[in-house]
Amino acid sequence: MKSAKTRSNVIVHIILAVLAIIWVFPIFWVILTSFRAEKGSYVSTFFPKAYTLGNYVKLFTDTTILNFPKMFVNTLIIAVFSCLLSTFFLLSAAYCLSRLRFRMRKPYMNMAMILGLFPGFMSMVAVYFILKAVGLTEGALIRLALILCYSGGAALSFQIAKGFFDTTPMAIDEAAMIDGCTRWQIFTKITLPLSKPIVIYTILTSFISPWVDFIFAKVICRANADQYTVAIGLWKMLEKEYIDNWYTCFAAGAVLISIPIAILFLKLQKYYVNGLGGAVKG
Amino acid sequence: MRYRKQLAAALLVLLILSCLSACGNSGNAQGGEEKVRLMVWSPSEDQSVDSGAWLRLCCDRFAAQHPEWDITFVYGIADEATAADSIAQDPEASADVFLYANDNITTMTDAQALAKFGGKYEAAIRAGASEAIINSITLDGHLYGVPFTTNTWFMYYDKSVFSEEDITSLEVMLSKGVVSFPFTNSWYLPAFYFGNGCTLFGDGTQEELGADFGGENAVAVTNYLVDLIKNPNFVVDADGSGMAGLRDGSINALFSGSWDYGSVKEILGDNMGAAALPVYQLDGEGRQLYSYSGSKAVGVNAYSEYMVPAVELAIFLGSAEAQKLHYELRSVIPCSTDLQSDPAISADPVFLAQNDTFDRTSKLQPFVSAMGNCWTPVENMGKSIRNGTVTHENAAQQTRDMNDAMNSNGIG
Repeated sequence: MKSAKTRSNVIVHIILAVLAIIWVFPIFWVILTSFRAEKGSYVSTFFPKAYTLGNYVKLFTDTTILNFPKMFVNTLIIAVFSCLLSTFFLLSAAYCLSRLRFRMRKPYMNMAMILGLFPGFMSMVAVYFILKAVGLTEGALIRLALILCYSGGAALSFQIAKGFFDTTPMAIDEAAMIDGCTRWQIFTKITLPLSKPIVIYTILTSFISPWVDFIFAKVICRANADQYTVAIGLWKMLEKEYIDNWYTCFAAGAVLISIPIAILFLKLQKYYVNGLGGAVKG
Repeated sequence: MRYRKQLAAALLVLLILSCLSACGNSGNAQGGEEKVRLMVWSPSEDQSVDSGAWLRLCCDRFAAQHPEWDITFVYGIADEATAADSIAQDPEASADVFLYANDNITTMTDAQALAKFGGKYEAAIRAGASEAIINSITLDGHLYGVPFTTNTWFMYYDKSVFSEEDITSLEVMLSKGVVSFPFTNSWYLPAFYFGNGCTLFGDGTQEELGADFGGENAVAVTNYLVDLIKNPNFVVDADGSGMAGLRDGSINALFSGSWDYGSVKEILGDNMGAAALPVYQLDGEGRQLYSYSGSKAVGVNAYSEYMVPAVELAIFLGSAEAQKLHYELRSVIPCSTDLQSDPAISADPVFLAQNDTFDRTSKLQPFVSAMGNCWTPVENMGKSIRNGTVTHENAAQQTRDMNDAMNSNGIG
């Protein structure tokens, strides 16, 4: 018995190890490339022949053609504000749909479901012209335009958060209301603290989507290079005029943009895991 | 509760401030009569201080020449290949003057965003450029820009491996060194087919004629390519492997354009050679390789509010003076006929190679809209030959299939 169990454990672990290597392999390769001293986009060896930090230095010092630090700051500002706004929108919508009963509740949920079936970039050109009509497509206001774009649709993707709120018993809300709580107080003081995992999940996803978005940023930024986000910058580095000189810097940039996401994830992870213990289930 | 509201308010203020701060567009205003606001787009290298800020320099000179206008320049970044898309997306909010690659001309004319040049302006442009270049930016008899450089690919080679005589024949080169060719890239591969008399849209503008890549002459080329790919000295250049090979010495010649000049020069140094395309041997006869050629031009937005200053600026940016400056600052190969005799420029190997290629061993890249159907089938042919799917047995069928696909939009 015991040896059979050991054997199956060994097999499972070997399979897992192989899969882990396969999954980590591309990331490992990007990290290696970011430290590669040889120039160019193509090399015949997996491990670089020489290592350097120069790619990172160039990314932050050679800013006349592709201003990476500026793009990084732009993206960070946009992502932080979009994250705050869309988390608020999404959780509020989910709370209302879970706890309040009003006439348009069902139609709203159906509408959100149907709208959610269409890809967001379908409305891209229309969104551009609306933003232009309001005057948000020039200069520094582009940042505001992008923040609005990324957070505006957040209230439509309430489903997961609503499902989570639904598991908190109504009795808790009722008890709070008897004690004199308003709806807002129930939301902030009871529902949210009981729903940490979903709050964290929402924050993570709503930070990542503006952080990595390419297509909206490209359509709205157009020729305003000082408003570019990192996604556009990294794409530019792979164009035929730049690729030979910038390829290793591209890898360095790719490593750098993963850092804020990694920090966010590590910082929030403890709530993520603890929270799964969940609320006071009825 | 209260401090939450304050926090929310503070965040809002911070948000607005962060959007309002940051640099506005810089401008240049001088005393004058009419107030003019010109938005100008160019690639970022043309505006970078490190490479001489060509655009700003030219715009300042232009403003100095025209005291009658009080010009405010607004600069934006759009490279020649993608400017057309941004302009077609929304011409009203696009640059008055911009640089574009001629294969995008129909994108902009379809959006009615590209101004036609006529009268004295047309005469001035025609006087400064060769017939072939003018044709590359003429559509239905209308001239759509001021050309400032040619755009094509040619051959870089290692002078220590090949002599001046060797480089006229691909076969001789293959016997002496390793040649890398972007075989799976449909901007390059048709060179072989053009060499044996295949045509695209007649002279390039007759859309109704379609692609002629399926005849016996094309089959002969496919058969030749099946053999060529087996030659150990012929290496497929994909994803930058050609440049990497040149760097480590395993490759002695590659096909690319002026955009790779800096890298090639750095690798080969004084041994760098550049030349027009060689001849290949088919059935005992020499056939010339022909690259696609095009041009880059300064265009004017048809929606511009200040048409006269915009056209004048475009003419200035495409003038011999601006082209010379462009060459000195950024090594952009000039095409003005006035500069052909300039000793500093005419000694440049890349200048010679590019213009020789343009004049002698290239075909004007068609910009009829059916051209869009031609890229993928040719690319697939290159990949199939490399993979060994195409053999001497099925070469005829595969070539005809490629031709059918090139003449079909894939829908009806």
